[in-house]
Amino acid sequence: MVKEGLVRRFLNALSGTLRAKSTEYIEVELRELENIFALILLGSFIGLPSPPTSISLRLMPYMARELVIMSRVSERLDDMLGEMAGLFEIT
Amino acid sequence: MSSKFRTYFFIGKGGVGKTTCAASYAVKLAKEGIKTLIVSLDPAHNLGDVLDKSLTDTPVRVMDNLDAIEVDFEKMITKHLKELSAKIKDIYSYLRVLNLDKYIDVLKHSPGIEEYATLDKITEILRDNIERKKYDVIIFDTPPTGLTIRVMALPSVTLLWIGKLLELRLAILERRRVLERILGERAKVKIGDKVLELPSSITEDPIFKELTSIREEVELVNGILTDSKRSTVVMIVNPELLPMLEAKRAYEFLLRLKIPVKYLIINKLVEEESVPERFRVKVKEQRRSLELVDKYFRGLKLIKIPLMVKEPRGIDDLIKISEYLHID
Repeated sequence: MVKEGLVRRFLNALSGTLRAKSTEYIEVELRELENIFALILLGSFIGLPSPPTSISLRLMPYMARELVIMSRVSERLDDMLGEMAGLFEIT
Repeated sequence: MSSKFRTYFFIGKGGVGKTTCAASYAVKLAKEGIKTLIVSLDPAHNLGDVLDKSLTDTPVRVMDNLDAIEVDFEKMITKHLKELSAKIKDIYSYLRVLNLDKYIDVLKHSPGIEEYATLDKITEILRDNIERKKYDVIIFDTPPTGLTIRVMALPSVTLLWIGKLLELRLAILERRRVLERILGERAKVKIGDKVLELPSSITEDPIFKELTSIREEVELVNGILTDSKRSTVVMIVNPELLPMLEAKRAYEFLLRLKIPVKYLIINKLVEEESVPERFRVKVKEQRRSLELVDKYFRGLKLIKIPLMVKEPRGIDDLIKISEYLHID
């Protein structure tokens, strides 16, 4: 009984850790995808060529979330190396 | 959305006689009993002058079976921006205290806004006719070549962008769904003092929906522009070197966009016998430029219109010119 409980606890802990690990990666991926989406549409802020005006104008009202992400990413831009190291667990 | 009406685009360098040719053809069709609408997209409107009738932004009856419009771009851009500003105000409702209109006004001066406005107007007119089936033929008198070919390239460019953006958006939504499934709840984001739940399916995501609806609109126009059964481009040149060279470039560009060009009108041809001695050089130039036609525009049907002694104005003059226009 004790043995079984231990195994179950171990397996639960393992699956929890794996789940956390996998979501961590997807979360970063998602954030960066959203960042790229915003960058492509609103890149003219930093001098990138802009998409056809009709597209960016019509999407503008829905872009609040992307703007927030873009500004958050830009806050961390001076430590991109640290960011990448954290993601791939380089210490 | 199928419909049987045809569209014609008359394009060419400034001053070659686009408006006159387009208006003559419109008059010809109207006389044959075909319900025709002629639309001037050239910001420097002179369709009204050619038809000898004052025109507005809404169809004005010129003669039996013929209506004409001169598009008011200033008004269109303002309308477009008003709708946009209403949408923005609606979404960023917490910013209502500010007077947004005046800031959004500056968009009116965005580079390239005329091209988008022109394409928007073409779309609006085509859509309207698909729904109401009022006209059998719609003729567009376009701005000079440079702007026109950029307008005609816009649908392809826009479709390319939308394709990429939709792909990216799908990747985003897919990841949001995965996270939602694993974590058992929707992701939220705090903007200002509002907490928003993030949509994860294509039916809820406003950005995905807006992109799809832009794509539908653009595909509608592009479908008509590139369908030789529904759309014909008529190019107009004068028998001079520069208009020929410009038309050649436009022709090649339109071919690349798969927009069917069928006719080449050589307008203002001088009949050689009638030219006094001192203008012989001009005639030689004309002959030289005509030699280029076979080289540059193989496959196009040629229409030649002689130089009129008097500048054509009004329906009667246009009828005379229309006798030269053998266009299907």
